[in-house]
Amino acid sequence: MIEIKDLHKSYKMGSNSLHVLKGINFTVEDGELVAIMGSSGSGKSTLLNILGMLDGADSGEYTLDGVPIKNLSETKAAEYRNKFLGFVFQSFNLINYKSALENVALPLYYQKVPRKERQEKAMQYLDRVGLKPWANHLPSELSGGQKQRVAIARAMAAEPKVLLADEPTGALDSTTSYEVMDLIQKINDDGNTILVVTHEEDIAHMCKRIVHLKDGIIVEDKKIEQVRAGQYV
Amino acid sequence: MFDRDIWQEIFHSIKNNKLRTFLTGFSVAWAIFILVMLLGSVNGMKNGFTGQFADDANNSIIIRTGSTSIAYAGFEADRRIQLRNDDVEYISKSFPKDVEYITPIMNKGASTRYKSETGSYTIRAVNPEHLFIDKTKITEGRYINDNDLYKSAKVAVIGKRIVEDLYKKDSALGSFLEVNGLPFKVVGIFEEDGRDDNAERTIFAPITTMQRIYGQTDEVNQISLTYNPNFDLTEALNFSERIENLLKRRHKVAPDDQAAVRVFNYAQFFSDISNFTSGMGMMSIIVGALILLAGVVGIGNIMVFIIKERTKEIGVRKALGAKPWQIIKLVLLESVFTTVLAGFLGMLFASLILAAIGPNIDTPAFSNPSVSISTVLTATIILVVSGVLAGLIPSIKAANVKPIVALSDK
Ligand SMILES: Nc1ncnc2c1ncn2[C@@H]1O[C@H](COP(=O)(O)OP(=O)(O)O)[C@@H](O)[C@H]1O
Ligand SMILES: [Mg+2]
Repeated sequence: MIEIKDLHKSYKMGSNSLHVLKGINFTVEDGELVAIMGSSGSGKSTLLNILGMLDGADSGEYTLDGVPIKNLSETKAAEYRNKFLGFVFQSFNLINYKSALENVALPLYYQKVPRKERQEKAMQYLDRVGLKPWANHLPSELSGGQKQRVAIARAMAAEPKVLLADEPTGALDSTTSYEVMDLIQKINDDGNTILVVTHEEDIAHMCKRIVHLKDGIIVEDKKIEQVRAGQYV
Repeated sequence: MFDRDIWQEIFHSIKNNKLRTFLTGFSVAWAIFILVMLLGSVNGMKNGFTGQFADDANNSIIIRTGSTSIAYAGFEADRRIQLRNDDVEYISKSFPKDVEYITPIMNKGASTRYKSETGSYTIRAVNPEHLFIDKTKITEGRYINDNDLYKSAKVAVIGKRIVEDLYKKDSALGSFLEVNGLPFKVVGIFEEDGRDDNAERTIFAPITTMQRIYGQTDEVNQISLTYNPNFDLTEALNFSERIENLLKRRHKVAPDDQAAVRVFNYAQFFSDISNFTSGMGMMSIIVGALILLAGVVGIGNIMVFIIKERTKEIGVRKALGAKPWQIIKLVLLESVFTTVLAGFLGMLFASLILAAIGPNIDTPAFSNPSVSISTVLTATIILVVSGVLAGLIPSIKAANVKPIVALSDK
């Protein structure tokens, strides 16, 4: 599903240049649930942003579902993001003046799904994250866990090939975190490919594979026995 | 453009950001309000000026004389030039094709009495053609005619105001009015269109009658005439110059003597007024445009601010697959919509005010301020264009927002 080879990325800061990714190689198969771990500043988000086409790499190859991702125009990148990728962020990034339902329906709008179908589908995904009764509430009326579940529903509504989650539990307490991980595991059980960036061991162990990032390179990449989050909920 | 979803997005965004929409809209509404009020006021001035002279033919010329200011042809300066009956004939004979109507005029004060009621008015001695030069409206009876002139009849055509002043219950027509001690038979009553009330406090009498009463004279105070109504401004001004030259030659007045023979052409006056008001119009358009420009810059500023505020949202939208032009469309349409709506409100408000108070304002210098459809249309076009301009740069900026920058939690 994802294939990257010798990926480099540095940030220019005035005259200095900060080399963040120094040759990343890895592959993600269909249906995997991968945790990307590492201490703060190790380049996890940078990697995820490149995978999400929100940012470009300096060098290296990136292939997503057989499509080489290189020198994309803004318009093309938007199209690919919409078709291939779902995003979940630490700070939820819901649009604050739109209801839960409208937030979930937004990627479908950019997919040009007719409005009726859009509403139905959005409602269906809200139902899957258990928030159907909250459909018409604004984000400000929801708890942190609920917001993240809306964000996950929004990411999934577009039926992406890969779900990218950057510290999805970073702003949540542990019980809520496990609820969110439970949801992510269930989505993965349905066959979806998911990458979760985290710096928390327990969250990482709820995935099926851990990729450890340190100083811009992968220092460890191992398959693990998945800890089911459901037992803690 | 007519996609329901994008409008829903825009209404949503406006509804949830009332203050910023209000701020944006207010500057434009204000600018348009001022512009329309300005243009309306200029129209009011124009109406005021032209309305004052609505009772006179626009193609008329008035000739008066005074004393010479320059010694000429063996005469010393300060010689009095007197118009006489034969000057009238001379002018009409000299320009048989150009003169339409012509009349000598003699004005006198008129102490007037009917039964016990008295009043002091002006008696104006004229020939029958004066009717067409002055555009006098006869409401009862008739005007001075050739027969009156021939017989030097003591007949009078009096203004409506005089009837109101002097005649309580009696019918004025056919009555005898005592003017400066002599009885005049009232043969007609007239009205004037102009706003000058005193015009209706005038008594018209045959020129011959008055000249006989005042010592068998052939002197006249003034000559009024109208010329070929097809003359354009240049021809009209040229014609008054020809008359002036003719009279100066006849009375041996220096060509550059401004005091002795004075020819006053209404065309000149109307052209001055219309130059003045169109100058005012231009001024107000420029002032209005500057105010509008300030409004547009204001919107631009607010839009930039809005984009800043919405950076995160735009980043989210882009992450969810919004293409750059979709972002541009979103921001631009909101700006155009706000501008046009606000502008219309400003325009509507100003037009309503003008429509409500305009017809009630009727003074010599300012009357019925109003705006034309074409003004409103022009303003509308300006609005849409300014809305696009105001939104364009900020929207392109918005489209270039990098999602990672927008979404970074820092
Ligand atoms: N846009 C940027 N410009 C400059 N430096 C950046 C930018 N984004 C991240 N960095 C730097 O790159 C390094 C890696 O950042 P990041 O990928 O966010 O790490 P992580 O997500 O693992 O905490 C950090 O030192 C960070 O300060
Ligand atoms: Mg990070």
